[in-house]
Amino acid sequence: MSLIPESVNTTGSLLPSAQYRLRSTATSRRWQQLVVAVLVGCAAISLATTVGIISMLVIESLGFFMAEEIELGRFFTDMQWTVGQTKGDLSYGIMPLLSGTLRITGIAMLIAVPMGLVCAVYLAEYAPRKVRAVLKPTLEILAGIPTVVLGFFAVKFITPNLLVPLGDFKTFNATAAGIAVGILCLPLITSLAEDALQSVPRSLREGAYGLGSTKLEATLWVILPAALSGIISAILLAMARAIGETMVVAMAAGSSPTLTLDPRGPSQTMTGFIVETFKSESVVPGTVSYYSIYAVAGVLFLITFATTLFGQFIRKRFREEYQ
Amino acid sequence: MSPIQIIQKSEATRKHYSSVFAIACLVICSLVVVVLVTLLASVVTSGGGWLSWTLLTGVHHEDQPEMSGIRQALTGSLFVCAICGLAALPVGVGTAIFLEEFKPKHRVLRWFHGLVDLNITNLAGVPSIVYGILGLTAFVYMFGIVPPIEANRPASIEFGAQYYYQAKTLGGKWINFPASDRFQTIYHFKEPISATMATGEDVQLNILSKSADSPEAPAIRDRTVFEGNSASIFRRNDWWHVHLPFSKSILSAGLTLALVILPIVIIASQEAIRAVPGSLREAAFGMGANRWQVVRSAVIPSAIPGIMTGAILSMSRAIGEAAPVLAVMGGVLGTTSGLTGLMDKAPVLPVTIFRWSGDENAGFEHLSAAAIIVLLIVLVAMNSLAIIIRNRFEKKQQGV
Amino acid sequence: MQKRIWIPVAAMLFGCLLGGCGQPTQTAPAKSSGGSAVSTEPKNILSGSVVIEGSSTVEPVSLKAKEGFNKQYPGVNISVSGQGTGNGFKALAKKECDISDASRPIKQSEFESCTAAGQGFFEVPVAYDGLTIAINKENTFVDKLDVGQLTKIFRADMAAKTWSEVNPEWPNEKITIYAAGIASGTHDYFMEVIGKDAEAGMRSDEQITLSEDDKLLVTGVVGEKFSIGFFGYSYFVANQDHLKAVPIVNSAGEAITPNIETIESGQYEPFSRPLFIYVSTASYERAEVREFVDFYLENITDIVTQARYVPLPAEVYQRARTHLDKGLAGTYYLDANGKKREGSIATVFVEENLLGK
Repeated sequence: MSLIPESVNTTGSLLPSAQYRLRSTATSRRWQQLVVAVLVGCAAISLATTVGIISMLVIESLGFFMAEEIELGRFFTDMQWTVGQTKGDLSYGIMPLLSGTLRITGIAMLIAVPMGLVCAVYLAEYAPRKVRAVLKPTLEILAGIPTVVLGFFAVKFITPNLLVPLGDFKTFNATAAGIAVGILCLPLITSLAEDALQSVPRSLREGAYGLGSTKLEATLWVILPAALSGIISAILLAMARAIGETMVVAMAAGSSPTLTLDPRGPSQTMTGFIVETFKSESVVPGTVSYYSIYAVAGVLFLITFATTLFGQFIRKRFREEYQ
Repeated sequence: MSPIQIIQKSEATRKHYSSVFAIACLVICSLVVVVLVTLLASVVTSGGGWLSWTLLTGVHHEDQPEMSGIRQALTGSLFVCAICGLAALPVGVGTAIFLEEFKPKHRVLRWFHGLVDLNITNLAGVPSIVYGILGLTAFVYMFGIVPPIEANRPASIEFGAQYYYQAKTLGGKWINFPASDRFQTIYHFKEPISATMATGEDVQLNILSKSADSPEAPAIRDRTVFEGNSASIFRRNDWWHVHLPFSKSILSAGLTLALVILPIVIIASQEAIRAVPGSLREAAFGMGANRWQVVRSAVIPSAIPGIMTGAILSMSRAIGEAAPVLAVMGGVLGTTSGLTGLMDKAPVLPVTIFRWSGDENAGFEHLSAAAIIVLLIVLVAMNSLAIIIRNRFEKKQQGV
Repeated sequence: MQKRIWIPVAAMLFGCLLGGCGQPTQTAPAKSSGGSAVSTEPKNILSGSVVIEGSSTVEPVSLKAKEGFNKQYPGVNISVSGQGTGNGFKALAKKECDISDASRPIKQSEFESCTAAGQGFFEVPVAYDGLTIAINKENTFVDKLDVGQLTKIFRADMAAKTWSEVNPEWPNEKITIYAAGIASGTHDYFMEVIGKDAEAGMRSDEQITLSEDDKLLVTGVVGEKFSIGFFGYSYFVANQDHLKAVPIVNSAGEAITPNIETIESGQYEPFSRPLFIYVSTASYERAEVREFVDFYLENITDIVTQARYVPLPAEVYQRARTHLDKGLAGTYYLDANGKKREGSIATVFVEENLLGK
């Protein structure tokens, strides 16, 4: 892409405007104006999507917090989430859902980060052609597998065959979901981290080898630190993905919002709660449980948005370092 | 261990460390392959035996996995993805062209340009379930601006529907006739009107006063109703029947998925456009073309393979998405009449897999695995197409 | 030269997509004529749609009714969803459905919101259910439970952690509970038995999983040895190879296992209960809804048996028929003060008890 001189991209700056006018007729210019208008319209749709998401989440969450039964403070302090569940007093603390999300994201990261980074390092620094020819497509296929399939794998394979023999794991548990989400994040971390490693300038590498370091030393003490911000951004982006992952969690993690650290039991995440509410063929608008979807989705959006933004920010800064 | 400590070791030891590390890496990497193989193997062993003709042609039957199939889910997925593609591809490619080829000079437009550019990467990080909720609000309920669809009231804004009344005659035969006012849901028989019999035959209905004796002859009873008896309204729609709000329909689902893949389409198309060599543009400019003519005749044709690859890959993302569809259409497993138009609900493959795997009937678990196999085959086919296009493109690039 | 190839390829692919979208035009008539092969009179046979929402316990009954009805009238589009009795009544009050399935009679508050919305309904009892308390097949120590023990397990103020807290002779193992969520009528019915005069509701800690989806509850109990759960009898029968129904001690002190005889005779108490459908009066004026409800009632014994529930006495169905014919809209389960009427269905479901518009 650096082949294209920047100047070409700015209208007419390469061409004298007189010549420009010479061949492009009045009709073709009007035509161009129309096209630009249409293209601006297209671009506006993506902007409208963001505006739509934010305004919708804000407005409809208000419906939740304005409801008689709900106080804003308790949303963050209550230790139970029983919207649409028990009779009598309603608890609507987001904490159990948040803890469920964190538990599963944590397990996923425990799997995806080390494995993903090792794969990235191996692919960038070591892998012979033959291994690469197997590993690359494998990762690509893994990245393309729909999340329902991973959910199926978690609940029908990981739980009964790997976890239950290990201990007192429930039919639906956080660990199986976490492992599956980890598998899902792994290709993402690998490909982003590999990019980061490969964009470390050759000169750094050559310098390290020139000073007599082995490949391991060059990797650990020179290349990895140089690519660190790119790697952190990869991890952050994968984390956002894990936090927002829905189907795996809905299928494998169960549906009880609990505030615990026990990874063997069921746990409901924010996304899991949303899906549980949607699973039936209808959601009745105007009820507290309907509005609670928006409140939970709002928190979810804020967290993933912040994580993504932070990841992008770090990545941009990293790029600037070497370009 | 710090670098200093390591360097103090002999060179042989250090080389040894390095090769041990390489082997350890290889082992961990091969774990990835093991995971993929296990995943595929577990799906195939669970569902392989359930791959059958019935699976492809049948529809969902409660409690009867042997008879159930994914015909409706396949067509549902196909049409939802078609709608999604028709909506997302033009908009996505248009946005990419705008971002890459038209750098506006006007201050407001330039600000807009930068904002859109920044926005795309963030949109790509939004969880798909959030898009699902957006779809639910924006397409299904339309922010509550349009009155919601009710069971016994036609939608206030709709196209492509014809209304009829239907009633049973004394002889127990069903007749129907066109309705002039769709908001009058019940019609009471007053004067003789012409109606269509179930056989397709048009007849004049006899209206009999309530006090009169009912006729004996079956042929007459078949076309006779009592005065004051009621006929009720029903709708026949064309496939393009649309009403506002879109309610839970394949149109809503397709549009929602379009929002999900829009950032992916835009980013892929941007890359494809960026890969077009600058010399092509310069040549076109040199021939006196204006910017749009350059884009149309030079940039788009040579970027099309890249755009197509990106489009297919994003469509394969759309076909595997369950969460947004679940939010917008609910967990539908099948409908009586199948898909007849844009306003119908339909099951899609991923949602079917999700619902079946959650069924306590073990047969559905296997069926769900079989459906996964079908879904994976579809995905492999789509991706191979993308790879073929990419390879031919690369060959061509090398040729240039 | 090479470049040219891509234009037709792209055109073809876009064409495929467009063709894909255009296809419904062709399939729609094709489909209706396909339907004609099954029924002799395609074009004008009964059309329209029936939307059924509500209890997942009653869902199997409505699904069987739908199946039978669609054999006769393939042109009527019937959608059945089981999201819980409470949500069904909400949908009924919002006029979003034609029929609301319910595993408990309508509550005062729901009745009021229907009245406020001008939504009338016919209350039609369809079957008996024996709410079944089920345990894992491998659980050998629980041979019966009484209401007191169930209270210990399920109610928030007792919330027994282990089986030995319920009965010292039982193992000191954590209880895992799978229970119906609040939108479900099964939940309400169960709480009525174990928490009638108590402040406390169903427990909600990390040992319990609540869901409106009975299938999830079954899967949970099947998967864990020390678990317990409850759901409609139909879900138990469908999975009886993997589950065990716990005999429940009734008011006469006998431990009774739920089965067709004990549910029908009323021995299996306090967990025998009637199931209902609530038909919107406005929808009942529509030919397809009326035809469907008529079919439902005509074939009710078969439908209920196929759905693995227990039919009500013929006399109750007779009365339901009469009430529909007379247009008696409203509920029989609330008195003028909005209090729930107690008693067997045969004594409650009589014309004098009607509370309606």
